Amino acid sequence: MNGKRNGSLRRLLEPKDVNSMSPAGKMVTYGLLAFWAAVVLFPLYWVLITSLKLPIHVNDGPLYIPFIDFMPSLHAWEYIFFELGNDTLRPYLNSIVIAFFSTVLAVGIGSMAAYALVRFQYRPRFASVIAFLLILAVVVWMTIAVDLHWSLSVAIGLALFFLFLNTLGKRFQTRVGNDDILFWIISQRILPPVVAVLPIYVMFQQMRLLDTHIALIVTYMTVNLPIVVWLMRDFFASIPMDLEESAQIDGASRFQILLGIIMPLAKPGLAATSLFVLILSWNEYLLALFLSTADAQTMPLLVAAQNATRGPQWWYMSVLIVIMIVPVIVMAGILQRFIARGLLIGAVKG
Amino acid sequence: MTLAMRNIYKSFGSNEVVKGLNLEVAEGEFLVLLGPSGCGKTTALRMIAGLEAVTSGDILIGGEDVTGVLPKYRNVAMVFQSYALYPHMTVAENIGYPLKVSKVPRDEMSEAVRETARKVHLEDLLDRFPRQLSGGQRQRVALARAMVRRPRLFLMDEPLSNLDAKLRGYMRSELKHLQAELGVTTVYVTHDQIEAMTLADRVAVMEAGIVQQLDTPRRIYDDPANLFVAGFVGSPPMNFITGAITGGAFECGGAGLPCPGLADNPRAVVGVRPEDIRVTGAGEGWLQGAIYSLELTGDETIVNVAAAGTHLISRMDKDFDMPMGAEVGVEILGERSYFFDAESGERLRTASHSGQPIAFSDGSR
Repeated sequence: MNGKRNGSLRRLLEPKDVNSMSPAGKMVTYGLLAFWAAVVLFPLYWVLITSLKLPIHVNDGPLYIPFIDFMPSLHAWEYIFFELGNDTLRPYLNSIVIAFFSTVLAVGIGSMAAYALVRFQYRPRFASVIAFLLILAVVVWMTIAVDLHWSLSVAIGLALFFLFLNTLGKRFQTRVGNDDILFWIISQRILPPVVAVLPIYVMFQQMRLLDTHIALIVTYMTVNLPIVVWLMRDFFASIPMDLEESAQIDGASRFQILLGIIMPLAKPGLAATSLFVLILSWNEYLLALFLSTADAQTMPLLVAAQNATRGPQWWYMSVLIVIMIVPVIVMAGILQRFIARGLLIGAVKG
Repeated sequence: MTLAMRNIYKSFGSNEVVKGLNLEVAEGEFLVLLGPSGCGKTTALRMIAGLEAVTSGDILIGGEDVTGVLPKYRNVAMVFQSYALYPHMTVAENIGYPLKVSKVPRDEMSEAVRETARKVHLEDLLDRFPRQLSGGQRQRVALARAMVRRPRLFLMDEPLSNLDAKLRGYMRSELKHLQAELGVTTVYVTHDQIEAMTLADRVAVMEAGIVQQLDTPRRIYDDPANLFVAGFVGSPPMNFITGAITGGAFECGGAGLPCPGLADNPRAVVGVRPEDIRVTGAGEGWLQGAIYSLELTGDETIVNVAAAGTHLISRMDKDFDMPMGAEVGVEILGERSYFFDAESGERLRTASHSGQPIAFSDGSR
């Protein structure tokens, strides 16, 4: 439709079949592709050969080709796997456990929230939201400062809140909608985590959960939730309402619709979002630095630790980076099968 | 099952889309809700299905009040305009879905699926996915999914509008045959008056949230209740000429058309169907004009005559042969003309003319 309007632009942007190109065009195309492939792959190659270099090879300046420029050695691999041994394995397992569970929880909870934001209209009064937050603060203050038992202060808080809802609350007309809620959720991510890292640290310290898996799983899940809600909302919105209505009339319950219709159709979105969140958790450094010391230490910390007292140990870092990449590649391979397009073809229209 | 809608109102915010809908649909009847887009017919259907809550009024299915009942407990089946097939399920799984969610045993289910598929000629496509089907095949899957569990009502929301003309004609007769065979009460929404005329036992013509006339297709066509119904039903549409009624004759541009017994009315409209207008030689007939265009459709010629400041469409024999621009006369078969009040659009009747009372007659077919 707009093809006619920007005909020339479209001709430029529309990919031509590479087989129908002139030889010169082919050469340029493949040349550009090869160049970009080199840009992308060279760092990986560099990490790989650095892991096989002796310290002397690194310090002598750039050496590019193994067996010709230098003799590869497995000394760094031996150090990481045998001398460090458990000190490598533990962070590795920690990273896997923490990234896996935080991703599953974030995607699980976040996609439910996203679905609700797409399919239900929420119209809470603005004043009620503010009142809830104020009363929550009072409850916390009563529990900590006044030393009231927590169940008592929660009961008082709930009573206050419902009293407000049924009396004063009705006077306020301004309401917030789904878009406001979504913006509020996303705004949690606008704040850089570093701002909240100290309170988070103190919180887990008080709960005596520092340096545990739980602390990191809960924190990563919370940090990633806004991203999941934001991404999944678009995926759910693309599923036609007709399908759900049709299933309702066919006699399915809400839960049957969610599991039998919505989830299978949202699979590509779930897979893409999971992969994205998994990589974020896998690479996270700052929060891990604060919340873990030894037992729950993750791989990024171990990599950073190679740049300690003796200066950067590039060869050890390279080994760690290589083994860190492997699980992500495996997960990408597994999840990629689900990231198929056109799953909705045939649902509506002829 | 019978269906009754009593005094149904529906508003979206301040926008009232259904205003006092009353319908009684008899057991096994095929009722068509006909109207232009935005007339409230789809909203009415969605309220029967339970997808939309009523603002006020009652809905009864088989005598049981279902006004506040969730769609899944109403045991009605619906065919959507978009078909709404589940894209990740095969044809067999799509058809069997209503049985699967109601926990029908597996063999019983596959037997029912096979039998229903046979009825709509899908038995060879059971393992395909919707994306591998043509539009007509998808439509039949949607139909089979509605039929598989013997619902109390069939609800159809423009099910044929996404098909090409030829297929639409075929599916129309298929649909009529299946409905008669199954004997399930059906409410069918369409804006296509041909579909309404051909399928319906009774048609409810809707406009602006109000039923304008509820009657058999024949009486909708032969005895329209008002200007809207007269103009909406029929293809090519009815011809309208504005004029005045004085002393038992309809006057426009000097010519008079007798309408004995009608009260004087300074602004009246006469409506004549294209088949009731004859093009005659110049100087004859009621009005004089010139041929504006000719369309030979094969079995007849549609003649457009510019006369009385408007265009009159006449359905003439296929052998009709006059050049465009020729001076002609227009003759009206006076028995078959309808008079309306130009302001209200209401039909103007005489005691002798009105015959039987029209419109809003319920129940009895």
